[in-house]
Amino acid sequence: MGAVRAELLKLKRSLSWTVVAALPLMAVLAGVVNTLVCGAALDEGWHTLWLRTVVVYGLFPLAAGVAVLASLLWRVEHQGGNWNALMGRPTSALAVVSAKVVVLAVLAALMQAVLVAGVSVAGTAVFGLPGALPPRYLLVSAVIVAACLPAAALQSALSMLMRSFAAPVVVAVVGSTAGTLLVLIGHGTLSTVMPYALLTRATQLGTGVFGDDGTVTGEGAALVVAAASALTAAVVAGSAALLNRRDVH
Amino acid sequence: MTGRPRADDRGAVSHIITTHCLSKTYGDRTVVSDLDLRVPEGCVYGFLGPNGSGKSTTMKMLLSLVRPSTGEVRVMGRRMQRSTRRDLLRDIGSLIEAPPAYTHLTGGENMRLVQRLLGLSDGQVLRAVRTVRLQDHLDRRVATYSLGMRQRLGIALALAREPRILILDEPTNGLDPAGIEEMRGLLTHLAGRGITVVVSSHLLGEIDRTATVLGILGQGRMLFQGTREELLARSVPDVLVDTPDPDRTAALAGGWGAVRDGPGVRVPGLDHDTTAELVARLVHEGVAVYGVRREEQSLEDVFMDLTGGGGL
Repeated sequence: MGAVRAELLKLKRSLSWTVVAALPLMAVLAGVVNTLVCGAALDEGWHTLWLRTVVVYGLFPLAAGVAVLASLLWRVEHQGGNWNALMGRPTSALAVVSAKVVVLAVLAALMQAVLVAGVSVAGTAVFGLPGALPPRYLLVSAVIVAACLPAAALQSALSMLMRSFAAPVVVAVVGSTAGTLLVLIGHGTLSTVMPYALLTRATQLGTGVFGDDGTVTGEGAALVVAAASALTAAVVAGSAALLNRRDVH
Repeated sequence: MTGRPRADDRGAVSHIITTHCLSKTYGDRTVVSDLDLRVPEGCVYGFLGPNGSGKSTTMKMLLSLVRPSTGEVRVMGRRMQRSTRRDLLRDIGSLIEAPPAYTHLTGGENMRLVQRLLGLSDGQVLRAVRTVRLQDHLDRRVATYSLGMRQRLGIALALAREPRILILDEPTNGLDPAGIEEMRGLLTHLAGRGITVVVSSHLLGEIDRTATVLGILGQGRMLFQGTREELLARSVPDVLVDTPDPDRTAALAGGWGAVRDGPGVRVPGLDHDTTAELVARLVHEGVAVYGVRREEQSLEDVFMDLTGGGGL
């Protein structure tokens, strides 16, 4: 717990907050502009707005955003003598790795909260949609946050190993492109075990596009959450073992 | 290899850190070779050597940041390795290479971060900050700190856990003379509190007066380990012969490596018996000998001799 609290303190004056606010708002803005410019009506109200905002967001911007956040979190450890200090303390490698992933999960959840708030405000203020955003999208949002975890753990591991800020982000973009292809061809097993594909799959939940059947069931949500939990645990355990074995140069 | 000290360590309880045949190689490049370090408890151990002599790698192996290729490190009687390091590191503070700190945070926030991470009390943090006299600068972002202040913050971060051992890698690097003097005072103060300090430098003068024990490293090998008095005693200063006939003297003593040196003759590496033999020979050959003396050597000269001058 101390390691997580220490990690949260490192977020002070961090660029991470800009990413958390800007990326989902850009997705909302893109959805709004797309609707206004094309003049296409929101035939199914909130559903259409959600679809136009989240589908593209889930193809690769979300994974890239998670990757940027991971690079930002690890960048400070690659500076000065921070690696030596980090590993010269009596904190276990598992605690170091887990704390980073927990903070990434918090940031991913906040990013999703901004997205939900943005869609709600746009739907009401710009398009005058009746009522509030249906609760099913809150459930979908929770599933998206859960599905962010394996990608976050993987990006965290890459940013831990690579001094480069951009290289892990490139991996995320390539990975999410491959993931999108897996979702498109409807490969159920691979799109469940590949973190980027799982993330894309979660963002399409209930949209009825890219092989999604348009429904949001408890079973479907539970499958994504279970797969995400197992993948995250595996990646965290693997990267902690790697960190423990690795020399600090 | 955890738990109690081994039977063969019981006779070395006064040594808080020992290494046995410690080596590190990268490919075919040997960085540290067969190092037997003996750090007495409560001392300031000055770890000296030219840049690239293997000091930082050795210090990293002491902390298990780098795994030895062969040999072992024992700290407080226990073998230091990946499986034991977290436990042992509770009692070891360190500052390796560049000073650590998150520059976008203030000094105070950096201290609070370590406090949260290690579950330290406010008192522990305050004592560490006061020890390095940084209490008036905690509200400033570290990015605005001078190098000296960053070094002091790095030491405060290492001290906050109240360690028994402090390992500092070139803490005076880049400091001005006043900063170096301040660091010397700090190290002496810490040793006075019973903390064993291992401090490295490539400049003898920086830690000569502070260190009670010296370890001199050259090309990854331990060239000398002991007190400064032992270091001076170990060296064999050149013999200088004062004579009105230096050319003949140099020729007669040529077998001992004698050379002309100004108005006299210099003969290197002679022990007492050989010196007596040399004098007897000169007298026997009828050479006038006005005086024979050993050249005075400073600690710096000895260091230079040992390291081949690479440290200066």
